[in-house]
Amino acid sequence: MSNILDVELLNVEFNINGNYYHAVNDVSFHIKPGETLGLVGESGCGKSVTSLALVRLLSKSARVTGNVLFEGQNLLDLADNEMRKIRGNGIGMIFQEPMTSLNPVYKIGAQISETLLLHRDISAREAFVQSVDMLKKVGIPRPDEIMDEHPHQLSGGMRQRVMIAIAMACNPHLLIADEPTTALDVTIQAQILELMRDISNDFGTSILLITHDLGVVAEMCDRVVVMYAGQIVEQGTVDDIFFNPQHPYTRGLLNAIPKIDARSKQRLQPIEGNVPSLTRMPRGCRFSPRCPHVTDPCKMQSPELFAVDDTHFSRCWMNEKREI
Amino acid sequence: MSEVLLEVNHLNKYFPLQRGIFRRSAGAVRAVDGISFEVQTGETLGVVGESGCGKSTMGRSILRLIEPTSGTIKFAGQDILALTDSQMRAMRREMQIVFQDPYASLNPRYTIFQTLSEPMEIHHLYHAAVRRKHVESILDRVGLAPSYASRFPHEFSGGQRQRIGIARALMLNPKLIILDEPVAALDVSVQSQVMNLLEDLQQEFNLTYIFIAHDLSVVKHISNRVLVMYLGRMAELASSDDLFADALHPYTRALLSAVPIPNPRAKRERIILRGDLPSPANPPPGCVFHTRCPIAQDICQQKAPEWREVKPNHYAACHLVAL
Repeated sequence: MSNILDVELLNVEFNINGNYYHAVNDVSFHIKPGETLGLVGESGCGKSVTSLALVRLLSKSARVTGNVLFEGQNLLDLADNEMRKIRGNGIGMIFQEPMTSLNPVYKIGAQISETLLLHRDISAREAFVQSVDMLKKVGIPRPDEIMDEHPHQLSGGMRQRVMIAIAMACNPHLLIADEPTTALDVTIQAQILELMRDISNDFGTSILLITHDLGVVAEMCDRVVVMYAGQIVEQGTVDDIFFNPQHPYTRGLLNAIPKIDARSKQRLQPIEGNVPSLTRMPRGCRFSPRCPHVTDPCKMQSPELFAVDDTHFSRCWMNEKREI
Repeated sequence: MSEVLLEVNHLNKYFPLQRGIFRRSAGAVRAVDGISFEVQTGETLGVVGESGCGKSTMGRSILRLIEPTSGTIKFAGQDILALTDSQMRAMRREMQIVFQDPYASLNPRYTIFQTLSEPMEIHHLYHAAVRRKHVESILDRVGLAPSYASRFPHEFSGGQRQRIGIARALMLNPKLIILDEPVAALDVSVQSQVMNLLEDLQQEFNLTYIFIAHDLSVVKHISNRVLVMYLGRMAELASSDDLFADALHPYTRALLSAVPIPNPRAKRERIILRGDLPSPANPPPGCVFHTRCPIAQDICQQKAPEWREVKPNHYAACHLVAL
């Protein structure tokens, strides 16, 4: 089966004081039907910019190039009104902060129905019935009453369920979830992750899950893309990333987090230094100033994504010789 | 570890609710309700719970940044709730706080030197030249170049700002530091730098920490003992090892099972809690957790459970935990 999403050489540049700087640099990945792909990295690595670029929600001042093929159609070539038919219909989106994503002055019912009325040729009455049905599917108690309430009357977890109901209302083939549980407490996070897993299983929806939390990645994803400073530094199956990480940044991330199942208390191994700023990218490998294995070539020339095996790629000179 | 540095007894903080234009009293939000614990010198007490459980209010109440409603707080044997404002201000030399958001907790118009020397000015300590030396030595100690003293907060990254926040807390050489979500706003790679720094400083200055956080892995890593709070009340208190290996309270168990583990092959027996946190303005009768508890019985709806020592040094408030 062909891929739901193919991203080819996506570049996003922002204008800062008259100069263009790359926030996303030659990013390519794909998502297969029914698959959950994790996009991981720290703040400023370009993961959210990538997701916004895919659905063309960046401001016009951003320069976006490359191809974003959604079910074979290049989203970057579409006219604005054609793109609007895809958002919320073929591609659903949920963001981190449910309070700022929902409109505070509209009732929950109106916000779900809006999506349905926009994309489906149905009556308001039918849209209402389908909205109640959707709220039921995302596990909202008393859905009939909630339809008549405003966002401020709901808890954070409930709001995120409403966001998921809106995103899933038109049964999209791809769901883009940008830090969907970051603002939630762990027990509520567990509920929402379970819901997303159920949705993916029941509807066959592919998910692009953007997160900084490696625990969430390990639980949810089939494959993982690790980003650093606007580039993909490693890409592989979830097992590749967690059991055979190649790139020093990926390894650093895995070593830096305290483990709740650790037997003995060990000192954390941080990654020294800070993420480079957009305007001051290091020459050569972008991770070289913080890398414990840095050598002279690293500082001169940026490595490409070398294949470790069929599914596993790493942007590190240490992986070069494996390429035959 | 021997002597008790901080002793909190039946600490309550109720925020009154007022309704209507005449501001009639309409009950109270019981943000902190009957909290008692001790902290020993050199120890780290972790405090965990979900948002709204009262952990931050409790931290601030201990410093009297929020005035507690009732209870006693003894610091180094002295009842600090009996102190006058000026006595309390002097007492805060000994007890400091580090906040979560390093962006909001530094004055953007102050240079780092101004921010760090302000505590010395308030307490009339040292001459100007000594102050500058002291600022530079503390900056160096938290891993920042002494020359950064002349810069402004916006010139720093989140991790560096949190180091400045820690430096500010250290300026007066306190005994106790309350750390309120000190690493929650930081990226993973920087978070571990700050955690290691906190551990080093504790060793070097023999500091006592109250470490408030929602991230259980972080709390487990840094704490000697951990207090679990739910809806303003204590659910469980035990040594860190004991709590994470053998949680007794059903809330603690659910909380632990909900943490995503960064290992795709980890076995998970997840206890998913139904529903949301009840409102602390209108807590459920009996055990406050019974509305979400997977093993609740009739007694839980009727009677609030007592706080008891279930195992040596392992306390829990639950009817159903076997003795």
